[in-house]
Amino acid sequence: MFKFKKKSLIHTAVFVSFLLLLSSLIPTLRIPAFEILKYPLGLFTLIRREVEGIIFYHRNIVQNERLKKEIDFLRQKLNTANEIYLENRRLKNLLSFKQKTQLKVVSARIIGRSADNWSSIVIIDKGSYHGIKRGFVVINYLGLVGRVIETGDSTSKIMLINDPGFGVSAIVQRSRQEGLVSGTLGRSLIMKYLPKDADIRACDVVITSGLTEAYPKGLLIGSVISIGEEFSGLSRYCQIKPAVNLSSIEEVLIIIP
Amino acid sequence: MKNLIFIAIIIIFGLLQTTILNYVNIFNIKPDLLLISVIIASLFFEPIWAISLSIFAGILKDVFSVNAFGMHTILFFLWSFLIIKLSRKITLDNNYIKLVLIFIIAILNNIIIRLIFLFLGNFISLGLFLRISFIEPLYTAFIFLLVLKFAHTLLVSD
Repeated sequence: MFKFKKKSLIHTAVFVSFLLLLSSLIPTLRIPAFEILKYPLGLFTLIRREVEGIIFYHRNIVQNERLKKEIDFLRQKLNTANEIYLENRRLKNLLSFKQKTQLKVVSARIIGRSADNWSSIVIIDKGSYHGIKRGFVVINYLGLVGRVIETGDSTSKIMLINDPGFGVSAIVQRSRQEGLVSGTLGRSLIMKYLPKDADIRACDVVITSGLTEAYPKGLLIGSVISIGEEFSGLSRYCQIKPAVNLSSIEEVLIIIP
Repeated sequence: MKNLIFIAIIIIFGLLQTTILNYVNIFNIKPDLLLISVIIASLFFEPIWAISLSIFAGILKDVFSVNAFGMHTILFFLWSFLIIKLSRKITLDNNYIKLVLIFIIAILNNIIIRLIFLFLGNFISLGLFLRISFIEPLYTAFIFLLVLKFAHTLLVSD
């Protein structure tokens, strides 16, 4: 009896040892085993999927339609979220500018643009009811945008800086050279009445001089792109790229003096 | 009833002109929907109504523009009056004639507006002037063709 038990114990011990050895080898064997079984597994999965696809054809079509609708809905939601994110970023910029600046400002949203191609104006959703008056200066966190030319109770019309009727006294920040900046209706502005020996270079920053009464000194207008000579040869002019992208502004700040 | 519908269309055109059309511009130039409404009014309505609707369209355009006076109101009245006079002399039934008519009127309209602006001291480059003066009429004429089909269905009585 004892002998049998001893033999059985030895067998059990050998078996357990074998199991332990095997289990210790399994992590090492796992990767090669997977590598070997990868292709048959893939094949079987493919077959299973195809068979399932044939069996559940109708269910899949219905599911597909539902998922397509869901994708459309989520895409729409994503677009809205993206739009809100962009708006949030713009408003954050405006708010931080509003908090940093010493000027008293009122923020407004652009609700319309000029009806013709010969002028560059925008309509905002704030008017005399909010304290806005004709002649007030309009900016955003990047720089000068224009000035108020008409006000209603709750709307105002703003002439943008690229309108040909717009004019503001400006200086080149580096050399303090003075000139008159006006609109061209195009994407650039023009700084006129510069002396022939004016110290002005490309990329120079142009700011308001403060000489035009309503405009505070130091508002960023843009940077110089090119310099040319007037036809008369008596003075020079330079083209300025506005700091603000006028075709895509959506919110502005109106300076209350 | 048709008059009221057309007034609503003019208002919609005015709103489109100041909002959505800014996103569908070509070379930064948008078509003149209100001028299209003037031409359609002059071609399809009785003279008194045509002139009234044209003046209304002009007022709407002046409201959304920057002018010292009602420049568009006067011009739109003038174009309406001229089309009515012209339609008594020659037939304007052919769509090609209508197309040529709106193209010429749009060019003349632009030249007159620019001259007025020039007189008021607003200078722009010759290149920009030519670009606006010729691309806008082309664009307007193209949109006119599309609008004309709807206008015909809506306004011509059976």
